[in-house]
Amino acid sequence: MDKDTLRKLELLNQLSLNETQKEHVLAFFQSREQELAVLNTFNTDDVARMVHVMPIMTVVRDDVAAQPFSRDDLQKGAPETNQGYWCVPRVVE
Amino acid sequence: MKLYTAKSDTSAAKKIVADDMLLTKDMPTAAGSKMLDGYMSLFEAEAITKLCAAGYGICGKASVGEFAIDLLGETSYYGAPSVDGKLTNAAVEILKTDDAMAAVGLDINGSIRRAAAQSGFVSVKPTYGTVSRYGTIPVACSGETVCVTAKNIADCREVLDVLVGHDDKDGTSLSESECSRLNSASGAEAIRSVAVISELSADIDDETKAKLNAAKETLQANGVSVEEISEPLFAAARIAWNILMCAELCNNVSRYDGVKYGYRTENYTCMDDLYTNTRTEAFGDLLKTAILFGSDTLSTENYMREYDKALRVRRLVSERFAKLFEQYDAVLIPACSKAAYTEETVKADPYIAFSENLYTAPASLTGLPTVTAGGVQLIGKAFSENALFEAAKRYE
Repeated sequence: MDKDTLRKLELLNQLSLNETQKEHVLAFFQSREQELAVLNTFNTDDVARMVHVMPIMTVVRDDVAAQPFSRDDLQKGAPETNQGYWCVPRVVE
Repeated sequence: MKLYTAKSDTSAAKKIVADDMLLTKDMPTAAGSKMLDGYMSLFEAEAITKLCAAGYGICGKASVGEFAIDLLGETSYYGAPSVDGKLTNAAVEILKTDDAMAAVGLDINGSIRRAAAQSGFVSVKPTYGTVSRYGTIPVACSGETVCVTAKNIADCREVLDVLVGHDDKDGTSLSESECSRLNSASGAEAIRSVAVISELSADIDDETKAKLNAAKETLQANGVSVEEISEPLFAAARIAWNILMCAELCNNVSRYDGVKYGYRTENYTCMDDLYTNTRTEAFGDLLKTAILFGSDTLSTENYMREYDKALRVRRLVSERFAKLFEQYDAVLIPACSKAAYTEETVKADPYIAFSENLYTAPASLTGLPTVTAGGVQLIGKAFSENALFEAAKRYE
C-alpha cells in the first residue's frame, strides 16, 4: 500500500485522512502481506466459499402494500428538509 | 465517560439494559458514533419487542465503542469507560452497580465476550440465526449475533429463552423448529470431553491462564476429559474474520452520508464536500481504518486473494470444528489475552482489537455458540447452548 493508493481509497470511501492518520493506516496495511501469507498456508483450492454460516432460505411473504412510516416521520432525523424534500447542495450550476 | 447513552424509567421487576447497537423507539440509538448522535429510530429491535412483551423493562442504553468493533467500548463518541485506569465495558459496569438483571447487545468483534470474561460475568453468544437481528445496526452481518450478559448462568439463560425464535423480518433467521432446540426446556446432552486449543492458550497473561487452568481442573474433577490439542487453523480464523468483518462494515457504513439522517458537516459547498467532510468529521480513527481496509479487500486487485480466500478459510474452519466435534463435545479457550486492558494498551496499539480477536474470531466466523463464564469461553456445536450452560455451571 502506497500513499497514492491510499488517497484513491479515501476518495472512494469519501474520507479524508490527515498525515498522522495516514501514517497509522499505512502501518496497519504493512502487516497485511504477512497475514495473507499465513492464510495461504492453508490450501483452499478445492474448498467452496462459505458466504453464510447457516443454510439460508429466501423468506417469502405475501406481497401486501403498506405504508409503515409517513414521509414526515422518515424526515424527522434529517439534517435539513424543505417542504418534504431532503436538502442537499446545488448539483447543477 | 458515559455508561448510559439514554435512560428510561421502567416499573418492571426485571430490568434489562440494551446496548446502543439495538434500535429503540423511545430512546436514541447512536452506535457509539458521532454520526448517529441523537438518532431516533422509528422502529425497535425485535429483541427489545420480545423482552417488553415478556414483561421485562428496558432501563436504558449502554454506551458501546464506535459500531462495536473495538475491545470493550473505548472508541465510543461518549468517552471510553474506565475504572482506575483500566478499560471496562459500559453494560458490565451498569450490571455491577444498577439493578439491571441482564444486558442485551450485539457481538461483532468479541467485545461482549471479552467484557464478560474480564468482569467474571456470564455471556452467551447463541447459534447464528436463532435470535433475530432485525432492528440492530448492521456492521458485519454474516457473523454478528445478539448476545446476553448477566451476573449468573440462570439469568443469562432466562433472557436467552425469551429472545430465541424465528423472525420473518430477519432473512437470516432460522426456522422455529431449529430455534426451539435452544429452549432450556429441551434439555441438554452432557459435555464429557473438551479440547483446549494450544495456539489460543499460549500468549495469555498469568491471571487469564489461572482462570483457564481453574476451568480445566473443575471440569476434570467433574469427570470431563480435557485434552490439549494443536489447531493452527483456528489461530488463522482471526485473519479471515478481519477481512470479512471490514468488507461487510465498509458496505454497511457507506449509507452514512449526512443527507437523510445523522450528522451533517457545516463545512461544505458541494456534494463531494458534504459527503467527505461529514464522514471525516463523524467517524473515528479505528472505523476509518476498517472502512479503508474493507474497501481494499474488495477491490479488483485483492478480491480473489483476500476476500475470496477468507470465505474459503471460513469453510475450512467450520469443517474443522465439525470434525473436532465428532471427538470432543466442546472447545475451551480464553476470550481475551489479558485480565484487563489499560488506556495505555490501546494508545500503544490502536489496532489491538484486530489482534485480540484471536480468541473470539473462530466462533464469529462460524456462527457457533459460546458461553463465557469464569473468565473463559466454551464453544460448542450449533444449538448446544444448554449443554454449554450446564458445563459452565461447574466453574461459573
